[in-house]
Amino acid sequence: MGNALFIIWRESAEAMLVVGILYAWLKKQPDMKRGMRYLWAGVGAGIGLALALAAVMLGIAKTLSDEGLEYFQLAMMLIASGLIVQMVFWMRRHGRTFKRDLEANMQSNAEAANWWGLLVVVALAVGRESAETVVFLYGLGSQYTSTWNFLQVLALGIGAAWLTFWALQQGSRYFSWRTFFRVSEILLLLLAGALLVSAVEKLIALDVLPALVDPLWDTSAMLDDTSRGGGLLAAFTGYRARPALMPLLVFSAYWLAVLTVLRRFSK
Amino acid sequence: MIASKKLVIPGIPALAAAFAAALLLASPFAHAAEELLVLKLSAKDGKFEPLTLEAPAGKRFKIEISNDGKGPMEFESKDLKQEKVLAAGAKSSVVINALKPGTYVFFDEYHQDAPKGKIVVK
Repeated sequence: MGNALFIIWRESAEAMLVVGILYAWLKKQPDMKRGMRYLWAGVGAGIGLALALAAVMLGIAKTLSDEGLEYFQLAMMLIASGLIVQMVFWMRRHGRTFKRDLEANMQSNAEAANWWGLLVVVALAVGRESAETVVFLYGLGSQYTSTWNFLQVLALGIGAAWLTFWALQQGSRYFSWRTFFRVSEILLLLLAGALLVSAVEKLIALDVLPALVDPLWDTSAMLDDTSRGGGLLAAFTGYRARPALMPLLVFSAYWLAVLTVLRRFSK
Repeated sequence: MIASKKLVIPGIPALAAAFAAALLLASPFAHAAEELLVLKLSAKDGKFEPLTLEAPAGKRFKIEISNDGKGPMEFESKDLKQEKVLAAGAKSSVVINALKPGTYVFFDEYHQDAPKGKIVVK
């Protein structure tokens, strides 16, 4: 049962991170209501996406072949990664100049497009990992002889996920706005980096990219990425105990680019 | 000085193009039909049968995974960079590119406490 709970929490934590941070940020914006509509629409779209993907994974829907599903997942990872980075920079600029722009009547199509971007990033964050949770829960349901037990696990799982969301909101109130968003940015950028690493590894597995040197080193004695804690770190930061050179190069290039642009942004 | 709002979503068209390119790459002429060594693996609620697979070094091969358990399982290997979810009763396969000699670990992410399997490549 502990394992089931951990899995439910872990899969939802990524979505909660994105949704939670955006929610906390939106609450501080003057244009809050409009943004929130897009946020919840994104959550709804994400749930729909998760159900659709779960149906494909369970073999209920035959819309995608095995390979097709792999490429679709690859695309989702890359797009999610890119949009999360974009989201971080957008929150930075937006936070500072939005009020001024509003007053200067700068509402434009650009804003609408950015809100749609927000919707997509939320939908992807919710949909990607939730698909696996849906499949997992579907199977869990058949394993539990009593419906009551199953509902208990489900309720605890949802509760655990909600706890993540709640903790984030508390954090936004307890810490200064500045601190909260600095930490949020780092968490989001780490997540985007992790998604990028996974995408590159998928490309290697699909024989599109060469691994170059594999593995470069082995730190599984220190932290095994097949363990629960290690796996969590791997999913949220891109840590690999036995990394190949190609993902490492992309990871380094990513952080170099991100830190360079971040430095240009902070005055 | 108002910062240019051209940061709109320049990424999206670029990423859409990348996606389209990826789909194009998925087309059948990526790999000609070839005889692949097939290894069979059964997963039953976290229990792998066999726990250790053997494969030759330097050759691509395929692992046919059969989920003989009551619930879903996820075949995952960080070493092989593979992840695949299988519903109860489902069968699927993963193609592994040529490997160097060594031991490669795989596990069932939905039964993480169960013993991990390995592929010994010689």
